[in-house]
Amino acid sequence: MDLTMREKLKQKMGCKDEDFIKPLPVAAPWSKPFWDAAREHRLTLKKCKVCGHIDHPPYLYCTACSSEEAEWIQASGKATLYAYAVNVYGVPFAFMEDLPYVLALVDLPEGPRMISSIVGCDPKDLRNGMELEVVFDDVSPEITLPKWKPVSN
Amino acid sequence: MSKAEFAIIGTGEVPCGIYPNRSEFEIAYRVAKLAIADAGINKNEIGAVLNAAHIMGAEFNTEAFFGRLPEAIGAKNCKIIATTISGGGSSFSIRKTAEGILRSGETDYVLVIHAQRFSQFTANEQINFFAHAGSDLEWEVPYGMTFNALAAMMTQGYMAYTGTTIEQVASVCVACRKWANLQPNAMFRDKPLTVEDVLKSRVVAYPLTALMCNVLADGGCAYVMTTAEKAKKVCSRPVYVLGEASDFSHRSIINFKTRNIDKMYEFFAPVAQKAYERAGLGPKDMDIFEVYGAYPITSLMFLDSLGIVEPGRAGALVESGATSPGGKYPASTNGEAMSFGHTGTGVGFAIFVEGVRQLQGKAGKAQVKDARFLIEDCGGGAFMDAHFTVLGNEIPSPAL
Ligand SMILES: [Zn+2]
Repeated sequence: MDLTMREKLKQKMGCKDEDFIKPLPVAAPWSKPFWDAAREHRLTLKKCKVCGHIDHPPYLYCTACSSEEAEWIQASGKATLYAYAVNVYGVPFAFMEDLPYVLALVDLPEGPRMISSIVGCDPKDLRNGMELEVVFDDVSPEITLPKWKPVSN
Repeated sequence: MSKAEFAIIGTGEVPCGIYPNRSEFEIAYRVAKLAIADAGINKNEIGAVLNAAHIMGAEFNTEAFFGRLPEAIGAKNCKIIATTISGGGSSFSIRKTAEGILRSGETDYVLVIHAQRFSQFTANEQINFFAHAGSDLEWEVPYGMTFNALAAMMTQGYMAYTGTTIEQVASVCVACRKWANLQPNAMFRDKPLTVEDVLKSRVVAYPLTALMCNVLADGGCAYVMTTAEKAKKVCSRPVYVLGEASDFSHRSIINFKTRNIDKMYEFFAPVAQKAYERAGLGPKDMDIFEVYGAYPITSLMFLDSLGIVEPGRAGALVESGATSPGGKYPASTNGEAMSFGHTGTGVGFAIFVEGVRQLQGKAGKAQVKDARFLIEDCGGGAFMDAHFTVLGNEIPSPAL
């Protein structure tokens, strides 16, 4: 966001400079491997070694059988678009510079559903059920957000 | 047949809207006094004071945790206080707490209070808070998720998979507004609304327009609850809790037990059915459907689950006017969060108190004539749970 716009908002809305800093994920001990892999541009999922259940988000132990024996598997990087929204207005200040932006429920063939961003697509071209592939957005030296874009034909 | 162990004997409420100079403490004390007076009991008979936590309000919560409310109200014989909070489901979880206290025999009268003043917080603080209320800080908020976006993607999916039109979605707002126009305490009591108005307002989170999103407001209400036995002796028109049922699904919407947005009734309908069964009644016996909404999509999903319309067709039902004043299925008769005003955890309290007023014949211009039974619901978070309650101003006989 250009600084003039930011100064205007600060005056008009009484917000501070820190309101323009985007919130980043703070990993829990059980989710740290996900973010470590994302930084290397790999999408991974936590899979229970006992019952095979995949938990996303991951937790301390398997939500199906309570086992603490787990492995991190590489996801295919494919998904389908289940449903979506386009934020146009009324978002936290830090995200105003991105407006309009697309948020979606995406279904992974491995089982989990995720909330994520759809990038590289005019919102008008979004279709429920369309095929997606993962892309990685390095938002800081430590954090990379997996996002999705339509599979190019 | 319903056991009808508990009853509500009085309610109090203040106007909902933007009232920055009316503190949440003033709201709490005022609605408490109104409810006690309406119940026709003495304040010193109140043995427990329960309140719902104030969303974002650290000072009020600390004061409530440490006994401010009974002292300020002058409830000299109060024995128990508790703050209960489970988001939009708080009006139900607090009632279960009240039931437990009444069942213990420690007191015959429990006072339940909700107060909220959002106008003390900046718009950005409110947006940030609700982004977190509906979304996960680690997995969703970093993508710019907001509560409006959550409702928007649920609406987009519901429309895509059920064929519901955007006009039908907008008609939910219009039906709510028609009720609000009959309600002296509703935030938008004076403003009429058309489907065209709703669709022409600016897009906030596609497909939702501004007028499809609730407005955070200041308000509150209270009620006095007692045992059914006691209620029969002290109240000319108690409202009995005839049947209740609950279920919980998830924290994040990605883990909803029913994965298909067009089939969310598969989660909600069995809960409603259980509440009907426990009351010994069915959908045909209901005179009113006090549906919690906050967004049109929530109203549609709950209406889909009540046994009055084929699931997925709630939009057509609302569009037909059936849920509006004078319709066959009066629904959300206080105007709901969309037109009454959204008071955080208070959305469920407001709809519950309105249901009680209806069954006590105290609903003024919004009164549904000869109403005897209704079903009410609430739920919180990102569609995390559902609680249905059947209320009645009489206890149905086994022959019914
Ligand atoms: Zn397991």
